[in-house]
Amino acid sequence: MNHTFTLPNSGHNYDAKASKLGMWLFLYTELLLFGGLFLVYMVYRSLNEEAFLLASFNLDVWMGTFNTVVLLTSSMTVAMSITALQLGDAKKSIMLLWLTIAAALIFLVVKYFEWGAKFEHGLFPGMDHFNTLPPGERLYFYLYFFMTGLHGLHVIVGGIFIGVVIHKIKNKSVNKNRYQLLENSGLYWHLVDLIWIYLFPLFYLIH
Amino acid sequence: MSNKDHNSEPHAEHISSYREHFGTWVGLILLTMMTVFISVFGADLRTLSVATALLIASVKALVVGYYFMHLKYDPAIYRIMMGIVMALFTVFLVMVIFDYLTRN
Amino acid sequence: MSETAAMPLNYLNVKKGIWSWLFTLDHKRIALLYLYSIGAFFLVGVALGVVMRLELFNPGRDIIEPQTYNQVFTLHGVIMIFLFIIPSIPAVFGNFFLPIMLGTDDVAFPRLNLFSWYLYIIGALFALSTLIYGNGPADTGWTFYAPYSVKTGTNVSMSVLAAFILGFSSILTGLNFIVTIHRLRTPGMTFNKMPLFSWALYATSWIQVLATPVIGITLMMIIAERMFGVGLFDPSIGGDPILYQHLFWIYSHPAVYIMALPAMGVVSEIIPTFAQRSIFGYKPIAYSSMAIAFVGYFVWGHHMFTSGMSGAAAIVFSILTFLVAIPTAIKVFNWVATLYKGSIDIQVPLLYALAFIFNFLIGGLTGLVLGALVVDVHVHDTYFVVGHFHYVMFGGTGFAFFGALHYWFPKIWGKMYNKTRANLAFALLFIGFNTLYFPMLVLGIMGMPRRYYDYLPEFHSLNQISTVGSWILVVGLLLMIFNLVAGYLKGQKVGGNPWNGITLEWQTDSPPPLHNFDKMPELPVGGPYNYPNAKSE
Repeated sequence: MNHTFTLPNSGHNYDAKASKLGMWLFLYTELLLFGGLFLVYMVYRSLNEEAFLLASFNLDVWMGTFNTVVLLTSSMTVAMSITALQLGDAKKSIMLLWLTIAAALIFLVVKYFEWGAKFEHGLFPGMDHFNTLPPGERLYFYLYFFMTGLHGLHVIVGGIFIGVVIHKIKNKSVNKNRYQLLENSGLYWHLVDLIWIYLFPLFYLIH
Repeated sequence: MSNKDHNSEPHAEHISSYREHFGTWVGLILLTMMTVFISVFGADLRTLSVATALLIASVKALVVGYYFMHLKYDPAIYRIMMGIVMALFTVFLVMVIFDYLTRN
Repeated sequence: MSETAAMPLNYLNVKKGIWSWLFTLDHKRIALLYLYSIGAFFLVGVALGVVMRLELFNPGRDIIEPQTYNQVFTLHGVIMIFLFIIPSIPAVFGNFFLPIMLGTDDVAFPRLNLFSWYLYIIGALFALSTLIYGNGPADTGWTFYAPYSVKTGTNVSMSVLAAFILGFSSILTGLNFIVTIHRLRTPGMTFNKMPLFSWALYATSWIQVLATPVIGITLMMIIAERMFGVGLFDPSIGGDPILYQHLFWIYSHPAVYIMALPAMGVVSEIIPTFAQRSIFGYKPIAYSSMAIAFVGYFVWGHHMFTSGMSGAAAIVFSILTFLVAIPTAIKVFNWVATLYKGSIDIQVPLLYALAFIFNFLIGGLTGLVLGALVVDVHVHDTYFVVGHFHYVMFGGTGFAFFGALHYWFPKIWGKMYNKTRANLAFALLFIGFNTLYFPMLVLGIMGMPRRYYDYLPEFHSLNQISTVGSWILVVGLLLMIFNLVAGYLKGQKVGGNPWNGITLEWQTDSPPPLHNFDKMPELPVGGPYNYPNAKSE
């Protein structure tokens, strides 16, 4: 019924490069989203240096270090799963993605215990102990919960994204020749890692 | 330039080896150990330790970007765009902190 | 059926029914969805504006209470900024014409494009929902400045959430356009052979992608502060409300260029078509769009000269602000130089483009007055500011939007409106606009503060003139809409290229077929605006 003419540069074609470019642009928006919080952190830290230092002693460096190692490892597994799929080994790729999700869960469990301890001490904004702290320390905890909370949300989203990709590798819509979605989920996961790379020293290591 | 963009498709995409990923991971872990070590045992050098912590974090970020995120093997435009975004963000930081540092 | 058989298939008649619109992936139909929704919200915004002008007709209470007045100007601002101006030209004409001008059949991510429209609608409904529950719409002004936005009992959280969602919609549109421009240009069309409208959208999209997230996170901080009772801008825990202003304007100043740049792109299309002459200074116009986008990131502080920001920072921001004037002036000079010795055909779209230049010149130059530190201290938060930004946004972007509507109307619907009526509507709009806003500049110099419900007797006559102007403007607006609707219903059919334009959208049928082109589009020889019959110098 219609003309059968189609343009070579159609927007409805599968275009891995477009998809990748789009993902990177999205990552920039994520970077700047957290960027706003880093900016707030910088200003308040410069105004309350002593208080930030004191408050940071409430965090457990070793838990933070452990989580850092977990996230770095998961970044490696997701990167390897791309290599596996590119080499045509879908099974290995899926296995490595499951490892990544496992790491995400470990990260969240550790985070849960960390947060839980802070809740017990009443350090969450609005709680009793929080309200008795000096102003600068309250800012520190406010930022701590805000930034790690938002980061935790991204860990969850990234995990779900990877879960979707696993499903698509299984039904072969993501495969050796068409793996941009896997690469995009990897990029997103690395971004989650990148943000943690800065959160870790800023909150745990300012002793 | 744009012709190339459209038509020269299968440019046999570079495949990073498992080995390379593992090496990257080892490097990142070493950097993490280093920054924790400096912070826990070098507590006297306070401002210095914050500066080094951020410096090490930035090195780690670069490593993640270059190897895990594949920037090293991607077309230059990805590195350029990333550079512009980071420069832009740095200017935001500098201009805001300039306001705070020059207030009476 | 017989009707469709007689007519060639195009994007409007290829499928029928409401679902074929609500689930369409066609960029042209999505553009029209945007046009109708944006148009509807624009009329709500206009109605609120008229209410304010009526209230200000006399000093004291005329028709509404002071608290209602505060809510009305806030809702007017939120609707006009987030629901009208920011999406207006990119989402409607960008969506419709960017792919056609690049010689492709859709944007890079058609599904994402539809998703952006749904986000827009959800955000819009959230914004309007504040009218019907709790203490009504926010009364903070569209800037939501802390600490008042945290303390007031009105529905700030919902308005802020709406702005957040609308920002997300705007980001996705920008992302889509950047990828489209990078990946889908027709073979042979390099960046420097793109139409200038695409360049303007490219610059705009980068601002949308790189600035909007900052406001997103800022608005989330406001919501968190309202939820927990304490927050990052709360001085009692060591916070600084001025930091909110920094974060807010880091986005919202570049956002001004999200509003202005696409309008400049439209003008850069209209002027060469009606001068039948190659655009003067293609590259300077194209690159100045990028320059405006770039410099525009670093001038946000000029909104904060009286906030308590440091004097040294204020000086730096003031100097940087002056830099923006350079690329903007480059564009104006080039448009005027394009008209020089052109074969000018005075049609309605050209009139709107010229009105844009006139209004934008006033808006831009008053902007320089405001950017000058010493003067700003005196006119800050007066009607001078209100006059200035209405000249830029309504007189500039609004008129460019109307111009684009008249320019591309025959392409979108394949019919022509009544030109005499269109001219009359234009005259009313132009006269009404200037009668409405020029007195505001004078009132501001005299010292009348903005956002006040009441005013001193000496401001009475100018306020009355301004209100009368709003009536003329509304009559012109209604006449324009009536004329366009009449043109849509029973206008004369036109061919593919009624204005004798040269960019790719004029090579296809009006209305365009579903996939835009039935044969490979041909790039004009020797540049995108190289009119074959143009007189040589």
